[in-house]
Amino acid sequence: MRVVMAEDNALLREGLILLMTSAGHEVAGVAATGPEVLPLLLEHRPDIAILDVRMPPGFRDEGLRAALEARKELPELPVLVLSQYVEETYAAELLAGGARGVGYLLKDRIGRVDEFLDALERVAAGGTALDPEVVTELMARRRDDPLDALTPREREVLELMAQGLDNATIATSLVITERSVHKHIGNVFAKLGLPPSDSGHRRVLAVLAYLNA
Amino acid sequence: MTDVRKTVRQAWKASLHLLTGAGVSLLCHLMVGVVLFTAVLTATVIGAGVLPEAVLTLRRLAGLERRRTAAWTGEPVPEAYEPLTGTLTERVRAAVGDPGTHRDLIWGAAQLLYGMVLLYAAMILWAPALLVDGFWYGMAGREPVALPLITRLADLQARLSRTLLLPSPRARLAERIEQLTVTRADAVAAQGAELRRIERDLHDGAQAHLVALSMRLGLARRAYDKDPTTALRLLEQAQDQAESALTELRHVVRGIHPPILTDRGLAGAVRALAAGSGLDVTVDTGGAEDGPRAPAAVEAAAYFVVAETLTNAAKHSGSDRAEVRLRRGPGRLWISVRDEGRGGATESGAGAKTGSAGGGSGMLGMRRRVAALDGTVQVTSPSGGPTVIEVELPCAW
Repeated sequence: MRVVMAEDNALLREGLILLMTSAGHEVAGVAATGPEVLPLLLEHRPDIAILDVRMPPGFRDEGLRAALEARKELPELPVLVLSQYVEETYAAELLAGGARGVGYLLKDRIGRVDEFLDALERVAAGGTALDPEVVTELMARRRDDPLDALTPREREVLELMAQGLDNATIATSLVITERSVHKHIGNVFAKLGLPPSDSGHRRVLAVLAYLNA
Repeated sequence: MTDVRKTVRQAWKASLHLLTGAGVSLLCHLMVGVVLFTAVLTATVIGAGVLPEAVLTLRRLAGLERRRTAAWTGEPVPEAYEPLTGTLTERVRAAVGDPGTHRDLIWGAAQLLYGMVLLYAAMILWAPALLVDGFWYGMAGREPVALPLITRLADLQARLSRTLLLPSPRARLAERIEQLTVTRADAVAAQGAELRRIERDLHDGAQAHLVALSMRLGLARRAYDKDPTTALRLLEQAQDQAESALTELRHVVRGIHPPILTDRGLAGAVRALAAGSGLDVTVDTGGAEDGPRAPAAVEAAAYFVVAETLTNAAKHSGSDRAEVRLRRGPGRLWISVRDEGRGGATESGAGAKTGSAGGGSGMLGMRRRVAALDGTVQVTSPSGGPTVIEVELPCAW
């Protein structure tokens, strides 16, 4: 894959470039400030953009703003946003235009290289990757009966669905068969009163819409 | 006809004001005498114990006149005294040295005269005033001229009392300095406590995790050749430790200065708080997002006020609706948070002993944080609700 990334911290930038090249991806361009991002994306038209939230010149949310602009200018471009901390508000802003090809992860997650590369590929392929911390916050906020009616296993499945994982990955991470994942998902949707939804970004949106309501 | 009735009623009210003023004059007579007498006695040591009490009573009398004057003019008359505390010697010294005592004595001596004189003047005026205005208004149909003079007398009395009872600029400055000294000491103490808390959090949290992480990496290196399975397990543990350290650090950072405040300013951060509160919150940011931003400490205090009150509302109010309003004025930021819950939050705020864990201590922390910035917190929470928390923070925009 051809990647354009924006990261102002030299340590993390070198680390990410090393990670990308060792995983066989090509780093087409690197931006170190917010305003550089969009022109670079328009120039290189990469397969995915990896953007840090806080960047010069203001050290506020330049990267996030760049990501939102990029999604408007290049709707087909998958964007993965990385940050030292996650905010529900930012997740909501990123997902406002749909969950197709959107990722929002804590930088901590890069450490789990395999999972991080999976998430990267999932987003590049049009999927979704939402940080577990955002999902946990959303889940903690809903204190109503339908969620309480879920079994612990079904809650786990719901959380992983909200993070954007597909059935196969859910099965692997919970060490159960895909068949039982399928069954759990059926139960979750029935208990929450949601129409059954196919795998992928539409399902993520349905689940998030429910959690956000 | 109504006009003249109003004038008569007004003159009557003025006369009552003058009458109570004369009553105060009589008490002045008594108090000035008592204070001077105890002052003389103090010189012979016997009266020393009584002097501070006598001065306090004189202050109370002056306070009564301040309230009376404020009621007549509709304008509060501020007071500023040195506190009479400590040992007897200190109290006597403060009582004698306080410029407020001197001003009170001067006022007492003056009121003694003008209180009486003005009442007599009013009493003498009444009969001729009624005659003159009866003729003037009744016969000639002109505006009454003599009766309003009685009101002027009461005005004069209030003006004299106000002038004499207003604390001198020096006394007011002294009081302000006193207040600033206290709030600054609080601010320094609060900052010290905050630094210690951060130090402890880092020491027990992230630092400990990093030490453990480093240890596991060292062990993994030793085991690498002979026992790769163990090495792998140690590496996994090391990664867990690294993640825990990062989580801890994020937590500490949020406690120091929430990153979203830096990113989005107060209005944006408050909206994010509202969205994440689990309540249906109406946010009215007023003009808070226009123009330059408030100082970081003020924004952080405002943020923690909203965070704390929304958390309390979600936990204890029993309501699922709340309203947050921000307003900025010249040199001021106002925050008000209102919920339609069951109320009764004042006790937990003041006493911090009700069952609601965190509610009380959180409220106390909030008060300290606001007071350190020279701001004020007002909580109204009658039983049955609604609970309204209003905070005012001074700041240069």
